[in-house]
Amino acid sequence: MIDRAVPALLSLCAAFAVWAADSPLIGREAPDFALRAMAGDNMRLSEARGQVVLLSFFGSRCNTCRTQLAELDGVFRTYGPAGLVVYGVSIDDDATAVRSFATSVGVGFPLLADPGKVVGRDYSIDRLPTLVIVDRAGKVRYVHRDPKSRSEPVYVRELRRLLDE
Amino acid sequence: MSIALPRIRFLTRPWLALLFACVLAGVVRAQEAPAPAAAPDAAEAPGETRALDTEVQDLKKEVVDLNKELFILEEELLFPANTQVAVFVSMDVGEFFALDSVQLKIDDKEVSNYLYTPREAEALLKGGVQRIYVGNLKTGPHELVAFFAGKGPSARDYRRGATLRFEKSVGAKYLELRISDRQRKAQPEFEIKDWE
Repeated sequence: MIDRAVPALLSLCAAFAVWAADSPLIGREAPDFALRAMAGDNMRLSEARGQVVLLSFFGSRCNTCRTQLAELDGVFRTYGPAGLVVYGVSIDDDATAVRSFATSVGVGFPLLADPGKVVGRDYSIDRLPTLVIVDRAGKVRYVHRDPKSRSEPVYVRELRRLLDE
Repeated sequence: MSIALPRIRFLTRPWLALLFACVLAGVVRAQEAPAPAAAPDAAEAPGETRALDTEVQDLKKEVVDLNKELFILEEELLFPANTQVAVFVSMDVGEFFALDSVQLKIDDKEVSNYLYTPREAEALLKGGVQRIYVGNLKTGPHELVAFFAGKGPSARDYRRGATLRFEKSVGAKYLELRISDRQRKAQPEFEIKDWE
């Protein structure tokens, strides 16, 4: 019995370690950054302290990103007055492609350019789109990488919880 | 495993479960019972709360002081006075220039590239001084190059540079990047001041 239980327990621990390694930022202070907006003023994350911040990392060649940005626009319009700040962060190298993408998407929140991928590295972005939710105290509370977890009802529920805190 | 199983069976017997529930209810009641006795102490509560609040405030102050001391110690350790170089940015008036970013190079090596938000630029205009860089340099001659980018007169993209050759001696070196308006030419002016 013990012979079977020990490997099972070890594999459970390994699975937990993999899951934990998937979100190294959760519970930590969100890395601060200042980026140029595609339109308008430069933005610094720490200036949004006291508000719930949703960062959406996207690429101009990613169709899922386009759909998600459109979804986020609706969320921003609903929860913006309650203290939600949304930033789209592009990690494209090509500034012209990002600009035309930004124009075609036409969202109400700022789209920021990170051509050097400095912010992308700080947030360990390895797939697009990725959503990062930061609470009012500036701590990363949720990171959504897989399509299932970044579906609208999931993150809206989390946002509502954080906005109520 | 062979020991755990009989225990589970023992707890699943209905009469034992009932007995267990009665004992649990008794314990809960016993814990609730002293509550009325605690009522006369309620008068002392505000005083105690005040004392606790004072203690918390004192503790907070101690933590803040400790944090300050740690910060100073860290600075002294990382940037000793004999090798320290600090660069500050200040801005005056700003009628002809809206600051966007400052790039700093020391001896042809980029040491800082700072992007300003409107709030930060406004803070500088209100008299704030920002320490943009602190580092270590060995004694001898060095060169500092600063590039200022932003919107110039008539809201046009504007980029200017300023250079300073300076001698680093024993003791901390403080340099100031100063942005001001040259009224006669209706142009911004960029200079680097060496605080001896």
